[in-house]
Amino acid sequence: MIEIKGLYKRFGDLEVLKGISVDIKENEVVCVIGPSGSGKSTFLRCINLLEMPSSGDIIIDGQKITDKDININRIREEAGMVFQHFNLFPHKTTMENVALAPIKVRKLPKEEAEKRALDLLNKVGLADKANVYPSALSGGQKQRVAIARALAMRPKVMLFDEPTSALDPEMVGEVLGVMKDLAQAGMTMIVVTHEMGFAREVADRVLFMDEGTIMEQGTPSDIFSNAQHERTKSFLSKVL
Amino acid sequence: MSLLSTYLEHIVKVLPDLVTGSLITIEITSFALFFGMILGTLAGLGKLSKKKLFRYPTIVYVDFIRGTPLLVQILLFYYGIPGLYSNATGNSLNFDPILAGVIVCSINSGAYIAEIVRAGIQSIDKGQMEAARSLGMNEKMAMKEIILPQAFRRIIPPLGNEFIALLKDSSLLAVIGVHELLKTGQLYISRTFAAFPVYIAVALMYLLLTIVISRLVTYSERRLGVSDRN
Ligand SMILES: Nc1ncnc2c1ncn2[C@@H]1O[C@H](COP(=O)(O)OP(=O)(O)O)[C@@H](O)[C@H]1O
Ligand SMILES: [Mg+2]
Repeated sequence: MIEIKGLYKRFGDLEVLKGISVDIKENEVVCVIGPSGSGKSTFLRCINLLEMPSSGDIIIDGQKITDKDININRIREEAGMVFQHFNLFPHKTTMENVALAPIKVRKLPKEEAEKRALDLLNKVGLADKANVYPSALSGGQKQRVAIARALAMRPKVMLFDEPTSALDPEMVGEVLGVMKDLAQAGMTMIVVTHEMGFAREVADRVLFMDEGTIMEQGTPSDIFSNAQHERTKSFLSKVL
Repeated sequence: MSLLSTYLEHIVKVLPDLVTGSLITIEITSFALFFGMILGTLAGLGKLSKKKLFRYPTIVYVDFIRGTPLLVQILLFYYGIPGLYSNATGNSLNFDPILAGVIVCSINSGAYIAEIVRAGIQSIDKGQMEAARSLGMNEKMAMKEIILPQAFRRIIPPLGNEFIALLKDSSLLAVIGVHELLKTGQLYISRTFAAFPVYIAVALMYLLLTIVISRLVTYSERRLGVSDRN
């Protein structure tokens, strides 16, 4: 469903992604692990074109999104993104956060968008917070709203960039719980995470990234119990 | 004692004129701030634009206005442009002083507001634009729905300062004969030579106006601030 071929990304002289090739199937949950600075965020950001790849192709559902004349906004509609720091809109209520893009971008009637938003807030357990502003929510609640907001666009794939890294430990579980439900419902997901327990339990495949390449990939048990590369083993020994 | 009572008498006599002049001052300043905000928002966005076609003209505009005295801008506009017009066409052109005042003050405050708007937009976390873009909003939509409303709340205090500065600076329009607050005082002085009490009264009127404005700014800041803390 997502084909990535020879993806390179440079920032000036700094080559951050060095020829990444990977295919991701529909309904697949892929966890990306690796040391800080290895290019995990950049990799995700290239998939919804928040960063323009320097070279290489990304094909989503048969459509080559790296073509020059592609409508970038269309691509972003199809790939939902969840950020480490939530990035909720502070001047909008929870409900408005979730309903805004469907109304403005998908041109959904307001009532329908709000119904959809309430439905999603219900799914992430926050229907009772529909009318409060983000400032009144805990970190875990903010991230669940952010997930609902991305889902409201009915994306084909969900991209998560360390969604629990900015959370207090007691709030990590509630967010991972929502993500687990989503995985079980069949959503295609790419998750950059340091939560090895989540990767082991939920991922169909784990990618280990190091210095801009995919050093090693496999099922969770391949990676966690039977890593081949020295770099992978040494990384895992530090985080497990 | 008799000096004080003479002064008080002058103040009581000049007060109606000063109130009329204050209304003109408020009117010019308010219009100038309104048009200045439109101009300043456009120029502020222009300064941040990736397109040179938008960026360079706004840089020239902002630097020229901020780098030259308002008094010179007023004289250039009010006397210079009609002079150019008559030299070029042989016909004469006269501006209404109040209209000229509003135009010059709008152009002037637009340049300062452009900097305020630019700084306000840049103070919004980059993640806001990224979140908006990741939801499929185009840049214009994200600006309008997400960035500008947040930036606007942040620029209310500096905008209030600009309002106060503009109100005080509008006294320069006295030189082209606008009957604003300072000019009404000066006209009274030219009839009575009562410089001290009248200039004191003029100063106090400006003080009153600026205090009222800063109170209004604090109030609207509080009104808008409630829902906006992340
Ligand atoms: N916009 C940017 N400009 C310049 N360098 C960047 C930019 N974004 C990321 N980088 C650099 O790219 C490298 C990889 O960053 P990133 O993808 O965030 O890694 P990770 O998410 O794995 O920690 C880092 O060295 C980082 O400093
Ligand atoms: Mg990262």
